Amino acid sequence: MIKYVARRVLGMAAVLFIVAILVFMITRLAPGDPAAIMLGDQATADDIASLRAVYGLNKPIATQFFLWLGQVLHGNLGQSIFLQRPVTQALWERAEPTGLLTLLSLSIALLIGLPCGITSAVFRGKWIDQVFTGVAMVGASIPSFWFGLILMQIFAVGLGWFPVAGYGDPGVGLMVRVHHLILPSTVLGVLNSALIIRFTRASMLDVLGDDYIRTARATGLPEYRVILKHALRNALIPVLTVIGLTAALLLGGAVVTETVFGLPGIGNLVVSAVLRRDYPVIQGALLVIAAMYVMVNLAIDLAYLVIDPRVKY
Amino acid sequence: MSSGRSFPVLRPLTFVVLAVLTMLGSRSADAAPPKGGVANLAMIGEPQSLDPMSTTADLTATIMQHVYESLYTFDSQWNIRPMLADKLPKISADGLTVDIPLRKGVKFHNGKEMKSDDVVASLKRWMEVAPRGKALAKNGATVEAKGPLAIEFKLKTPVPSLLAHLAMPSGFAAIMPKETLVTPLKDYIGTGPYKFKERKPDQYVVLVRNTAYSARSEAANGYAGKREALLDELHFVPVPNANTRVEGSLSGQYDFADVLPVESFSRLDKQEKVEALLTKPFGFPYVVLNTKSGPLAKKEVRQAILAALNMNEMMTAGFGDPKFFSVEGNHYPKGSLYYSMAGADHYNVGDPKKAAAMAAAAGYKDTPIRIMTSKQYEFHYRIALVMAEDLKKAGFKTDIQVVDWATLVQRRADPALWDMFTTHSPFLPEPTLTPPQLGDDAPGWWKTPAKDEALKAFNAESDLKKRGPLWGKVQEVVYDEVPYIKVANFNGLTARSKKLEGYTPMPWPSFWNTGIKK
Repeated sequence: MIKYVARRVLGMAAVLFIVAILVFMITRLAPGDPAAIMLGDQATADDIASLRAVYGLNKPIATQFFLWLGQVLHGNLGQSIFLQRPVTQALWERAEPTGLLTLLSLSIALLIGLPCGITSAVFRGKWIDQVFTGVAMVGASIPSFWFGLILMQIFAVGLGWFPVAGYGDPGVGLMVRVHHLILPSTVLGVLNSALIIRFTRASMLDVLGDDYIRTARATGLPEYRVILKHALRNALIPVLTVIGLTAALLLGGAVVTETVFGLPGIGNLVVSAVLRRDYPVIQGALLVIAAMYVMVNLAIDLAYLVIDPRVKY
Repeated sequence: MSSGRSFPVLRPLTFVVLAVLTMLGSRSADAAPPKGGVANLAMIGEPQSLDPMSTTADLTATIMQHVYESLYTFDSQWNIRPMLADKLPKISADGLTVDIPLRKGVKFHNGKEMKSDDVVASLKRWMEVAPRGKALAKNGATVEAKGPLAIEFKLKTPVPSLLAHLAMPSGFAAIMPKETLVTPLKDYIGTGPYKFKERKPDQYVVLVRNTAYSARSEAANGYAGKREALLDELHFVPVPNANTRVEGSLSGQYDFADVLPVESFSRLDKQEKVEALLTKPFGFPYVVLNTKSGPLAKKEVRQAILAALNMNEMMTAGFGDPKFFSVEGNHYPKGSLYYSMAGADHYNVGDPKKAAAMAAAAGYKDTPIRIMTSKQYEFHYRIALVMAEDLKKAGFKTDIQVVDWATLVQRRADPALWDMFTTHSPFLPEPTLTPPQLGDDAPGWWKTPAKDEALKAFNAESDLKKRGPLWGKVQEVVYDEVPYIKVANFNGLTARSKKLEGYTPMPWPSFWNTGIKK
C-alpha cells in the first residue's frame, strides 16, 4: 500500500505541474489587464505601462512563469495585486468559511441523501420512492442562486431567523459565524443531496438483489439489520465516490452560493480575482483547489480499504 | 465609466436635486441624530485599493473620504468650499498663481499637526499618481510651501477647474502626513472624522470615530462645513450581488445599501422600515465612437449613426419604467450651470431612412460596425442590443461583441479592435472631468481643431457666468462631430434604514453627521 500511495503522490505532483502550466497560460492568454482595471477610466497608456512594470507584468511570459514557479516551489504563491497581501494569506483567511460551509453542506446533504436514497430503494416503485426520486430530480434542476434568494426572502427577510448575507461583524464568535452559514449550507446541502439520493438508491438496488442479502433475510435477521449492516456497507463505495467529489467541489468554492450570500470564501475570492485579473490570486487559488481535489480523491481511494476489505492496492 | 468592484458606479451631479429632496423631508429628523452605535453599509463590492489618490474608483472615494480630507470640497450646490484650506484661495490677476492658506490646529490621526510641508508632499504625490493630478503636472503646474500654513500653486496657463480637481473625492487630492507617503500606501492616516481600523478583504472595512477630529465651524452643507462622527464605527461591507443588497436592506441587516437595481424600487418603497432613495438624475449612459480608424473615422458616418438612434427605445430596454430615466438632449440637467440645448436637434432623431441616406452619401458600404459591450452593468448590454437594431434598420451591418469589463477596458485601448462601445458616467460638477473623451488620448481618440478651439475657450474662462454658454459651444461640437453619443439620463437607487438618522443622500454617500436610532 505504501508503494501505491507513493505512486499516487508522484502522480499528484505531475498533475499539479500540468495544472500550474495550464492555469498560468490561461490567465495570461485571457484578455484584460489588472493595471488598467486598477487605475480606472482616467488612466493613460503610460500610467498603465508604469503599473504593469511595478508588478513585473511587462516581462516576457516565460520569465514570469519561471519566476512564479520558483516561488511556488518555495511555498510562496505570490502577492495579490489588489489585496496587497500574500496569496497564501488571502487563501488562509478564506479557508474557514469555505471549510465550515463544506462541512455543514455535506452534513445536510448526507442527512437528506442517505436516508432518502435507502428508503427509495427499499420501497422501490412505491409512492415514497416516487416522491424521493421526484425531489431528487427537482433538487438537481434548481439553480442555486434562485433557491438561495428564495430561502433568503422567507427565512431572513420574512421570518428574520437568519442574516441575509456576510460572515458576521468584526470580532464575532464562531457560533455567530456558523449562524451566517445556515442558509447557504441549506442551499448547497439540499441541492447536493439530490445526487446522493440517486446514487444511494441505484447502488442499494444493485445490492438488495444479491444472493447474500437473500441469505441474510433467510437467517431471520431483522430487516433493518439486513439493510443497514449488510446492504448499505456494500453499496457505499459508489456513494462514497460521489460524496468525495462533492466535498472536493465544495472545498474549491461554491462560487454562486458564496456570491449570493456574500460569503468571503474561496469561490468568491476566485471570482473577484478573475473579474479583476488578479493573476497571482487566480493562479495560486486554482493550484490549491487542484491540490485539494487530487488529495480528496486519494483519500477516497484509501477509504475504500476501510469499507471494503476485498479492495487491495 | 470609472472602475470599481470591480467597477464602481458613477456619481452624479444630482446633488442639487438631492439637496432639495432632503429639504423636503427625506432627511429623517430635525433633531440631532443620536451618538454611538455601528452602521452596516452595503457597498457594491470590495474596493480595489484604499489609496484614494491611486484610483478614480468611486467605491474607494466613498469609503476613504471619511478618513482623508482635501483642501477644498463641495457644498450642496456644488460650490467650492474650504475644508483643510482656511478659506478660498487668492488667485493672481493672470490666473497663474494660486495662494492657499491652511487651517491651523488640524491634527492627523497620528496626533501630528498638519503643516504646509505635509500638504505640499501630498499634492506632489497626487500630481505623480492621480490621473487628474498628473494632467495638472503635465501642464507645468508646481506647488510649494509659503510658510508653515500656506501653499502656492504656480501654473503655466490658468486652470479654472483647479479647485474642483482638488475637491473631487475620486482620484482624491487627499492630505496625508508626509512621512506616510509611500507607494503603495501602508498606513491610512488622514485628518477625517473617522480613522481606518481594519480591512478584511471581501468581509469589511472598519472605520472608527476620530475623537480628536478638528471640525470646521460652519454649518454642514453638502460635503462642506461641520463634520461630526456620531457613529462609533462604520462597517463598509462588500455585497457584490445587487439582489442580496436589496434583501439585506429589507431584512434590516444593512443600514444603508448602495446602487440597487431600479426594479426593486417598489419593494423597498412599500417597506415601512426602509426608505428608497431615488436620485434624479444619477448619470448618463453613452456610446463612444472610434474616430481614429474603421468606418466611423468619417464624421459623416458618425452623424448617420446618431440620426439612426431612438433613445426612448434604448432607455426602455435598459431601464424599463420611464420613472427611472429621462430622455434629454442637454448634456447637463436643468438647473445646472452647464444646461444647454445647443446641437440637441440632432439628438433622438431615430429616423432610419434619413440615417440610411446620410450613410450612403458618406460612402458607407457594408463594413460591419463592431459594437463592444459588457454585462457588467446589464443596461450597457441591453442598450447595445437595441442600438444595433436601430442601426440595422438604417442599413448598417453590425457585429455585437459581448465581453467582460476587464476585456473591454483592454480592447478599447486598441483602435483596430472596435468601432463603438457602451459605458456610462456620472454628472460631475466640472464638465471637462467626464467623459474622458473630452480630454486627449482617451479611447475614441477624438482630436479635431473644432474640439480644441471650443475646449480651449471653455478651459480658459474662470468666470462661472461665462462658462455656461461656452460649454454650450463644446456640446454643439460634440453633436456635430459625434465622438460620443449621450443616450439619456438615468436615475440611481439607494436605500437607508429609517433608523439611520441625519443621512443626506450624496453622490458619494457619506456618514458623518449621521447616527443610529437605538
